[in-house]
Amino acid sequence: MAFIACGKKAELPSQFTTAQEQAVIYPDYRDIVIPSNIAPLNFLVKDNEADECVAEFRGEKGSMLVASGDELTIQIDTTEWRSLLSENRGKTITVNIYAHHNDGWTKYKEHTLTVAEEDIDPYLSYRLIEPGYELYRQLGLYQRNLTNWNVHTIYENNRTFSNDDNHCINCHNYKNYSTEHMVFHVRAQHGGTMVINGDKATKIQIKDSLILASGVYPSWHPKHNWVAFSTNKTGQTFHMYHDEKIEVIDEASDLLFYDADKNEVRHILNTQDYLETFPCWSPEGNYLYYCCAHEPQLAEVPDSASAQVLLQHYDSIHYNLMRVTFDEKTLEFGEPEMVVDCATQGKSISVPRVSPDGRYVLYTLGDYGQFHIWHKSSDLWVKNLANDTCYALKEANSTDVDSYHSWSSNGRWIVFSSRRMDGNYTRPHIAYFDKQGHAHKAFCLPQEDPRQNILLLKSYNVPELTKDAVRVSESTLHETIYNTEPTSAKYVKTARSTKTGLKDGVDAVTGASPKAGAVSKQ
Amino acid sequence: MAKNKTPKQNGGAGKTAGTTKSVSSEKVKGESSIKRHLPLLPIPVIVFLLVWVWAAWWQGDVFRMVRENSFFAFDKTLMTYEISKPYGILWCIGRVLLTTFRYPWLGGLLLSLMLTASCWLFGYALRLKPVLRWIQYLPLGIFTSIFTYQGLSNYFEAESGHVMGIPFCILVILLVWAIIIRSFSRKPSPSIIKTPKDETPTQNHLQLIIAILMLVIPMAYAHYERPYVRPIAKMQVAIINQDWKKVIDVAHDNAEQSYRPLAANYAIALVQTGQIAESLFDIRLDYDSLYICGLNGDRSNAANMYVMECDYHAGLVETAYHHAMESMAMEGPTVRNLKMLCKTSLIRNEWEVAEKYLTIINKIPFEGDFIAKYQPMLRDTALINADPEIQMVRLLEPVHDTFENRYIQPVFLGYNAGLYEGRSINALWNSLMVHIYTKTMQDFLARCQPLQGSTPPTSVAQALTLMANKNPNLLQMFNGLNMYQGSLVSFIEDTRQYMTEEVVDTGVITSAQNRALHARTLFSKYKGYYPYYYFFGNLKATKKRTTTESSSAGVN
Repeated sequence: MAFIACGKKAELPSQFTTAQEQAVIYPDYRDIVIPSNIAPLNFLVKDNEADECVAEFRGEKGSMLVASGDELTIQIDTTEWRSLLSENRGKTITVNIYAHHNDGWTKYKEHTLTVAEEDIDPYLSYRLIEPGYELYRQLGLYQRNLTNWNVHTIYENNRTFSNDDNHCINCHNYKNYSTEHMVFHVRAQHGGTMVINGDKATKIQIKDSLILASGVYPSWHPKHNWVAFSTNKTGQTFHMYHDEKIEVIDEASDLLFYDADKNEVRHILNTQDYLETFPCWSPEGNYLYYCCAHEPQLAEVPDSASAQVLLQHYDSIHYNLMRVTFDEKTLEFGEPEMVVDCATQGKSISVPRVSPDGRYVLYTLGDYGQFHIWHKSSDLWVKNLANDTCYALKEANSTDVDSYHSWSSNGRWIVFSSRRMDGNYTRPHIAYFDKQGHAHKAFCLPQEDPRQNILLLKSYNVPELTKDAVRVSESTLHETIYNTEPTSAKYVKTARSTKTGLKDGVDAVTGASPKAGAVSKQ
Repeated sequence: MAKNKTPKQNGGAGKTAGTTKSVSSEKVKGESSIKRHLPLLPIPVIVFLLVWVWAAWWQGDVFRMVRENSFFAFDKTLMTYEISKPYGILWCIGRVLLTTFRYPWLGGLLLSLMLTASCWLFGYALRLKPVLRWIQYLPLGIFTSIFTYQGLSNYFEAESGHVMGIPFCILVILLVWAIIIRSFSRKPSPSIIKTPKDETPTQNHLQLIIAILMLVIPMAYAHYERPYVRPIAKMQVAIINQDWKKVIDVAHDNAEQSYRPLAANYAIALVQTGQIAESLFDIRLDYDSLYICGLNGDRSNAANMYVMECDYHAGLVETAYHHAMESMAMEGPTVRNLKMLCKTSLIRNEWEVAEKYLTIINKIPFEGDFIAKYQPMLRDTALINADPEIQMVRLLEPVHDTFENRYIQPVFLGYNAGLYEGRSINALWNSLMVHIYTKTMQDFLARCQPLQGSTPPTSVAQALTLMANKNPNLLQMFNGLNMYQGSLVSFIEDTRQYMTEEVVDTGVITSAQNRALHARTLFSKYKGYYPYYYFFGNLKATKKRTTTESSSAGVN
């Protein structure tokens, strides 16, 4: 079988010398496990001496040849690729790369693509934004169809700078891998939290004098229209002589429970000296996992000093993985219990995500803090909830940042943000998670033009897999964001409305110590 | 042919002669004779040459900086977003044309061709008679006027595609218009290159005068209202070329001007040449307001025009990367911020991302020199450290990690104000200079301790001599201060009258007001002399310091 690529007919060279090493390709798609429904893994051959290349994909059933185009780009025909993968589901495809040099053809050592039995959820949502930093301008939420090259714009902010319209969007989250229910935040102008139900959108505001800030990191309850939010007072600062660039710290954080049907919000945890964040429901909805750091000094200093106090020992703030039980009939949460104690090991945990079958908690482990997307030490780990063992996903991890991950609905694939390609710009990476609980080598989200990963000057944030495409239209979101005022969620007072962990005389809301003679709000 | 025409046929000249009855017939005869002998000139050609010189020589550095703050690459992936914006294709055409200003004479040639052709087509499309043909040069005046009025705003947080895109768009419209006219009316077109046959010398020369005025009036306006634009752009181009002497020369040539970008560029050159402790006060540091608009068209303090470069040359490589990334987030990629991202990544040995930036820069037309210089530095630390500019940056890098928010902004000043430990004597000079610049003299004296027993550089010695008035022991602690005492005494005597309250007809002028009133006059006499700066310079900052009590306030 021969194919034409970029006007050239691909033919296997009849004479060649054999190299002992594999070809260097970009992105690195060598020896990986892939879903059969993934778009073609187009790549560049990194061989400065070569003037043309041919790639041969040979499976147990079928094969194909692809000739290189400009800059030694191997771009694969989608139809043939899909056919080859579907015919070789559960089998291995070998890839042979031939490069033509001045002295003739070289055949590199082959690499393999193993086609898994299980498919990946076909839609990947993400945000595109310049990597980190304080300022933002144009950004958007997009959804990529993983089976082809289609990218759908879920919502983009204003393209033209305007003080009246500038806004940020972040923290998109779905209920049960379906786009039927979705949530994301709008900050600055037109601010609010967007709650999407099918093709309808409403803008709400989670704000109360007893709540630290607005809702931040969300997690939909798997069965009901309930969302657990963290509420965080977050700050970031910039290193001046360090391998890391940014440190993001929460000077305070609590957990909230939001009922989307009743538009009511109440506290799950409300503490002064504990920093709770990144809530995540278990698949049954009977546990809420979250990360928590104990910082006793926060009970002793006024709010205004919290950030400086924490910054002084930013590299010894350690978050543990915790959980509370939840009774969906009474809406009562239990007492916190430790799931993974990282602090005693001098490590810190972030972004817990429970697998759809409830067997594993996938999380990011780093040396300190919770914003591991800026920590090179961060790696993906899992805890096997059945036997209480924790281990790193070594095959999927890299020496650079690996963080912000999510599962596919069948639990066999994970997608996460990684800075492994250049240390700065995050790209979504996909890894197979087998039935034995081991992850395999991760591969970068394929692009029609593989140079896109080099040329794109934005990062992919918060990759989330879903089974279906987003239903709400961009115009509906635009209309709701621009032309409706947010509806304030009603705060429901409970026993947990009173902040715990406060020293005597410290203000419950602000944490500030009253001046002599002043009357405490407590 | 013109010689054979009657005065009436000759239009303006003939009318003037024919209607001025009070003038003697001899005089009219004489004038007509002179006019007949004046040569007819190929005005479009002359205008083309004049505009070329204006764009390349007079405004060349400004256009170059517009280009440096622009971005165009021959790559669909890189340009997709820009094209998708309103009028994106037009602005991208403007940007691609602008890339030629990498070489101002090339860019100037292109711009001049567009403007001259537009003028000619404008005249043709309006079917202007010879007597009114000067009108065709009004579009040239509109362009030069707007460009001059905009000044730094042409390239500060602005859509750079406008500068060449709008003239291009107008050219195309006029071309289409002219083609339509030509198609239907067969109207003959006046010659572009040859001497015009239907114009009198007066008509002909009037066109030239108008065209010259279209250039000269904006130049005069710039001289009085935007005098800082060309010097600042010239310094920025010199910094790109690492021509530190030129930066310093431009600053000295414009020492009476006082604008933050100018002072920042000057300080960068002084740091790079090791002269910061000798020559910082050679220019006026009072900071007049300048016309510059940022995003959304609001007036800006122009900090983003120099902060990134100042961070970099102060050794704060990570902070420079930070600000370059902020610049990219807010304005999109530009040649300027991409180059900074690339250089700082190389210095940080972040090879993969540096390679990414090099790949992108390599797709920008006319950036071969940059690629030729920095591409070999990939994965070659020795080559990076051998670069003279980077060597100086390395000398100033922090010794320990801290966070930016611990310092007063801008960080390149705040960091040096709080410096406790440096890698080189240059770091100490910078710190000392920040303190005497911000007039935080106690901190300055504390940091002078390592210099005890040595001969300090000029500005430091002058500051120490000034402080010795209150603490005579200083004269024994440092060498060579005695030689500055005499000049200090004369300075104090000379300026005493300006340091006290003064009663005038309209009321009492305070000491500070008095000093402010006379600072400008005294500058030419005491240029480069630190005690002058201490008492008369940067008074706004000094006032700030006294009212906001922070020890490092006044950093601005």
